Amino acid sequence: MSALEQNIFNSPLPVVAAGYVGPSLIPNEEAPWDEMNLPLKTDELVQKVMGQPMRRAGRFIKLVCCGALSCLRDVPKEKLAGKKVGIFLSTGLGNVDEILPFITQVFKHDGGFPSPNQFANSVSNAAAFFLAREAGVKGVVLTISEEELSFESSLWLAQTYLESAQIDLALVGGCDVFTPTVAESRERMNLTPDNSRLLPVGEGSSWLLLGGSKENNIGEILAVQFAPLEKDVSPVNSLPGMETKEKYFLPGFRVKEEQIDIWKNKNNWQIHDYLPHCGIHPVAAAFGIAHALRSKKAGYFLHHNHNASGRQAFVLAVTK
Amino acid sequence: MSTDINVRGWGAVTTLGWSAPESAKNLIEGKVLPAKAGEVSHLISPEFKSFAVPYDGDPLSKSQKMLEAALDEAIERAGLSHAEIAESSLFVGTTGGLFIRNEYEFTEEVRRHPGKESPPISCRNRGPGEVTQVIAGKYGIKGMTFTLSMACVSSSHALVVAANLLEQKKINRAIVFGFEPLLNLTLHGFASLLLCDYDQCRPFCATRSGMQIGEGAGAVILERGDKARHAKNLYKFAGGYLFNDNSSLTSGGLDGELVKEVVARTLSLSRVSASEIVAIKAHGTGTKDNDLSEGLGLLKVFGEKLPPVVSLKGALGHALGAAGAMETAVWLSCLEKGVIPKSFGFSQMDEEIGFAPSQENNVACNGAYLCTFFGFGATCSSYLIIKE
Repeated sequence: MSALEQNIFNSPLPVVAAGYVGPSLIPNEEAPWDEMNLPLKTDELVQKVMGQPMRRAGRFIKLVCCGALSCLRDVPKEKLAGKKVGIFLSTGLGNVDEILPFITQVFKHDGGFPSPNQFANSVSNAAAFFLAREAGVKGVVLTISEEELSFESSLWLAQTYLESAQIDLALVGGCDVFTPTVAESRERMNLTPDNSRLLPVGEGSSWLLLGGSKENNIGEILAVQFAPLEKDVSPVNSLPGMETKEKYFLPGFRVKEEQIDIWKNKNNWQIHDYLPHCGIHPVAAAFGIAHALRSKKAGYFLHHNHNASGRQAFVLAVTK
Repeated sequence: MSTDINVRGWGAVTTLGWSAPESAKNLIEGKVLPAKAGEVSHLISPEFKSFAVPYDGDPLSKSQKMLEAALDEAIERAGLSHAEIAESSLFVGTTGGLFIRNEYEFTEEVRRHPGKESPPISCRNRGPGEVTQVIAGKYGIKGMTFTLSMACVSSSHALVVAANLLEQKKINRAIVFGFEPLLNLTLHGFASLLLCDYDQCRPFCATRSGMQIGEGAGAVILERGDKARHAKNLYKFAGGYLFNDNSSLTSGGLDGELVKEVVARTLSLSRVSASEIVAIKAHGTGTKDNDLSEGLGLLKVFGEKLPPVVSLKGALGHALGAAGAMETAVWLSCLEKGVIPKSFGFSQMDEEIGFAPSQENNVACNGAYLCTFFGFGATCSSYLIIKE
């Protein structure tokens, strides 16, 4: 039995709902998009999801809210009523789209004329605050930033809060926005041809609602495992029902093509390649897992990625 | 009291010194200098006073040395072996992360080419999590890593999250680190919100009109009691509680009710009564709203039996994401010296608040000390440090 299988949660996390907004800004849908056209304007998305403009918020805050609400829109109100909900927002780069114009104004005008609103919004947990207010959540609201393993870290932490009953439900998500230029975005994410897949840079806000009872859920998160890159913790064949269930491998953006081929040809896992739908961004794992859980494919899903510092993360999920 | 979490080590770099004991000594002896403007090369405003860490050298290398000094001090005090460091988990609280690199490179480029049109400032750092990966790589930390980027409560929240995981036995040991170099971003940001005092930081004072930013780094090492190597541990962490309200982005409510609920919850979690609290290390930023809401909240909990209330920000400045770990480390060193320091910057009672922070040093006897932190996004964290 592998280390991943040994660390399967005693109580798998029911997934109540999943939702995502990718670079095309169409909630919960695969839609064509082009890196050259990024970033798209968010007015239509905000009006559609929230019913009214968010005038004092930048793109990052708008995408956080719209992505999370796209996850929650399919959840009956009675499922949330009276429940303690925790919010775990993960982001690799935070609110770069408001930090940069603010600091540019500071240096351009020798400190004069920067926007106070922009500064207040640029603090990473401002986005989580706006989401908490939209969703009517008080209590545990955390903003976690762990580069390209941010979402996995949030998922692991949310599981501990659910297990200890500090919360009843966890709204766990990841958001990173594209900020020009493509070259600078790639530098911020430390992307080189040697350490990542050759794919466009994108963006996304992708969320899971976890917890509650096992009835009427769309799947379960079975395990979240971190390990040094050199350690093989991937699952062997001892997962329950593995012989009859389909198996899907979700490769993260640092997993090279040769490794994907091994999973496909040697380990006999089908490849659920989500990255072309969202592009590379630090929390693309959130998009991948939400996308897979909404795909109506039945079986095991295993997401794998690692950071450039030699640390890897696996997320194992199952759908009905 | 209910806790099995030991404080095994701590370290800090502040405007008062390059270690927690040195900072504590200067604080206790009253060797506190006012905030100054124009002393750090990459800061462009001649107006904004700040509490800088003293250093002969460029601000980028200073920030790197701050990081190492605080961590090295904590690890040495804790006597951690390489194996223990490797199995530890790392929790970092920071707002600016390594943004100092962007600002320093930009200002150096402008300085080297005066008269030329400035290049656009770029944002080359990889987000707040980059600090954590640098530390994990440098010190060989192999456990879980988390970076909380949550403004003023970043490292205090990190302490509470770490303690939670220790209590659940998900981890054995936590190295909690707060890091915040001075940045134009935050200085100008808080000034744009009219939250800065251009003269002096005066926590809880009637004449207060804002905060003054400080820089620093702090590290606190927490460990499960069943894992303690030493038979006797002098300091414990208890009652950690974090809470996010959703009423206002910039204010926790001026009636003090939110503060009262947060503090009451901390006391309840640790099974310590209000009468057992020896002193309070308050958040006390020097802003009108924070000090009013915090002051009223503390009075709602403690009433006439309010213990000494101390804000360190009149002496250290507000170190934003580093405040939690840094102030806790300095506080621990003060307790180790047997002294509860006085609160600096106060001169006149605000009748609306109804009490004065402690104006003299007091004896730090054994017992429970309350620490509170409040921040942007309506965030609150509080916990007890128990001296045994």
